[in-house]
Amino acid sequence: MNFLPFIISGLGIGAVYALSGVGLLVLFRATGVLNFAFGAIGAVGAHVAWQLMEWDYPLALAILAAVLVSTLVSFLYGRFLAPLLSYRDTVVRAVGTLALALFLIALMGVVWGELPRRLQFPTDQMYLTLFGVRLTFTRIIALVLAIVVVGGITVLLGTTRLGLDMRALANDRDLSAILGVRITRTETAAWIITGIFAGLGGLLLADLVRLQGTFLTFLVIPAIAAANVGQLRSLWVTAFAGLGIGVAEALLTPIDWISPYRSATPFVIALIAVMILGSTAQAALKDR
Amino acid sequence: MTAQNQTLTRPMASPSAIRVPREVLVIPVVMAVFTAAVALLANSFWLTAATSAVALSLSVTGLAILYGQLGLVSLCQFALVGVGGWVTLRIGHAWHPPFEVSMLSGGIVAALVGLIFGIPALRLRGLYLALVTLMLAGGFQTIIGAWGFPDGGAGFLGRADGAGRAMLSRPDLAQDSVPYFVYVSIVATIGLVISQWHKLARPGRAWALIRKGEHVAIASGVNVLTYKAWAFALSGFLAGIAGALLAGNVGQLDGRAFTAFESLNLFALAVVGGVYNWYGALIAGLLLRAVPALLTDLGIDGYVTIGIFGVALFQALATAPAGIAGQISGLIARLTRKGQKP
Amino acid sequence: MIAIENLVVQFGGVRPIDNLTATISAPVSGLIGPNGAGKTTLLNVLSGFVSPVQGAVKVDGRDLLALRPLDRVKSGLRRSFQTEQVVEDLTVAGNLYAIADHVTGPGERIEAVEAALAFTGLRGAADTLGKALNLFQRRLVELSKCLIGKPRLVLLDEPAAGLTDEESATLRELIMRIPAEFGAQVLVIDHDVELIRSMCVQTLVLDYGKMLALGPTEEVLASPDVRRAYLGEF
Repeated sequence: MNFLPFIISGLGIGAVYALSGVGLLVLFRATGVLNFAFGAIGAVGAHVAWQLMEWDYPLALAILAAVLVSTLVSFLYGRFLAPLLSYRDTVVRAVGTLALALFLIALMGVVWGELPRRLQFPTDQMYLTLFGVRLTFTRIIALVLAIVVVGGITVLLGTTRLGLDMRALANDRDLSAILGVRITRTETAAWIITGIFAGLGGLLLADLVRLQGTFLTFLVIPAIAAANVGQLRSLWVTAFAGLGIGVAEALLTPIDWISPYRSATPFVIALIAVMILGSTAQAALKDR
Repeated sequence: MTAQNQTLTRPMASPSAIRVPREVLVIPVVMAVFTAAVALLANSFWLTAATSAVALSLSVTGLAILYGQLGLVSLCQFALVGVGGWVTLRIGHAWHPPFEVSMLSGGIVAALVGLIFGIPALRLRGLYLALVTLMLAGGFQTIIGAWGFPDGGAGFLGRADGAGRAMLSRPDLAQDSVPYFVYVSIVATIGLVISQWHKLARPGRAWALIRKGEHVAIASGVNVLTYKAWAFALSGFLAGIAGALLAGNVGQLDGRAFTAFESLNLFALAVVGGVYNWYGALIAGLLLRAVPALLTDLGIDGYVTIGIFGVALFQALATAPAGIAGQISGLIARLTRKGQKP
Repeated sequence: MIAIENLVVQFGGVRPIDNLTATISAPVSGLIGPNGAGKTTLLNVLSGFVSPVQGAVKVDGRDLLALRPLDRVKSGLRRSFQTEQVVEDLTVAGNLYAIADHVTGPGERIEAVEAALAFTGLRGAADTLGKALNLFQRRLVELSKCLIGKPRLVLLDEPAAGLTDEESATLRELIMRIPAEFGAQVLVIDHDVELIRSMCVQTLVLDYGKMLALGPTEEVLASPDVRRAYLGEF
């Protein structure tokens, strides 16, 4: 059986999972908030892009608008609503983002309805042929984008003042405040970054699979799964885990008896990761 | 996390424990009044919604035990409702036993599954438990999507085609809508009383200690493992019974309606309704089923409901952690205190 | 009587308890030392929350380390914690029943709780919710919990922290009555040297996980080593 086309297709979605996992993790490490609305934020952006393209606006503008809208939503929540919960435990703050997700799902449902749509980019039609398999430009862009963005974030965290502040916050919020790290500014930056990741992830997934509010919202689950494998700590492990989950899911497609269950792949991988790694990851969940 | 548990304002250790505490007696009384009101006044549309609401409030009670008593977030409770419903339908169609038998089987299997789901909790806490249960809900979504619910066929999955499809029959005593609603109310009342008894007695005290800290609990002689496991089993049992009642309501269940999202919704509304008072579960059930029904009646888009729930959830988290029930009980406390002033 | 032999606790490169050998036999004994000396760690070893890598502990001749933490509680070990751990949503009586449920038989519960309430003078506050209690009452609740269900060894971790002189004195009186009225040995950690001096016949001084001094309290406090390490005098 030729698995190669499935691996190729899996890499594309895997790149989106990788991107999303890292976006989720950066926010979690800097603010202690696990953002259940990550997928929904991206979904809103993707819908905006679709709408603009329906109105015949140029592609570049649509993409830009999508990322801007996602970033704006994330910024608004992070700057004005998340602080209302900042002295509660991690679970409550995560459930707060759940409230945001519900609200965004409602918004998309009311404005656009739940009809599944397809977001089409011209790069879908262009492809390379590698080992006899078509690799669309969109997938290549997804992979390259994932690598660039994860690499970029690593550089940001490692070399800039903002990165230093974010790493300090991730380690110990109260201590950082005493040391003069500007908490609000740093946390807001983290929400903005995660919004950008969400926007990109939403756009790509809407193209690769379909544009549908609830479906895209659930992107957050493979993202969480990838982050779990990275023990809520390591960016690169999360990224590779995301890729792995995407490929694993796709590889199961041609296997008849397991194929109907393949959408459970992220869940199963995350479960196994948590069970095996769970206790060592406790350190990452120290309440701030 | 400090909880505002106003149900425990009276001393829990009255030596004359033969007298049933007021906090438990009030449940059948209120439920009787509520049931009578709905049974007499509701049309068939509202009756179905109310039946569904009361059944669901049982599953919310389970969530309230895990979250309100132990601070454990379970994001797979609706999946356990599905498990209960599945078992009830499979057994009901296979052997046509009395409804109570199928229902109890559903409850027991869901309790066992709830226990298994709870095993990660024994080591994990807080966010990790929430994530694990979310993963389990997602896994259940995939499985039930592929399997569907039994509808009269043969084999393990019990799926029939076309003409062979059957509806689950209701209990003999309660074939019509109004009797079935009363039946559901009675079962729910029993479940609520059991849950309330747990909170006021030994298990509730042990759970309160565990929530305070595992070392504190151990130092007080509490077997943390046993009590946590019991909470998961009880929560699962209540969810399973809820699933059975839902299956009996419509006669069948739809595999596509048991997504992970529904479990998230259930948890959200449990918080909004209030996890520290018994009637919070009833309020949550009504919000889940009655509010959408109301909005449909008024011609408002169903998605608006979800939006309202989202806002309500955030508001509850930020300003009213004890939910609507907590606000009500606070109001009652203030009024009764005023009444007692000389 | 607590007999500790060659006890070593190791966390990574740190030894909070470093080859400790001591026999504590007085009805009310003190455990003092600078911060980080290993006092709470020792209590945690006795409770079973921390496992030593080496050493033995016998209480009244019985091997303590062989018992699981829960079994130690059931055989009479009681402790309080540095920060009080009163359950806010339970009444005072509820807090006491919470431990009575597990360490007394069904017929004896009410009696045990009433006795503890009477001893600490909390009878009047029995129906008050935990969240409405002041610090002194909370400390008393913690103490009451230790007296339920035939205690044999009561470990108190800074039981008077945050209390006024009057309140400390009341607490001291109560603690000193425990061996006679409940038949339990008491080991008290505290930073208040005066409290220890007035309450404890025998005192163990720890420093960097090792025993610095052990003996009659007055002698120990007068020892030059102790004065240097703990009281900061030269």
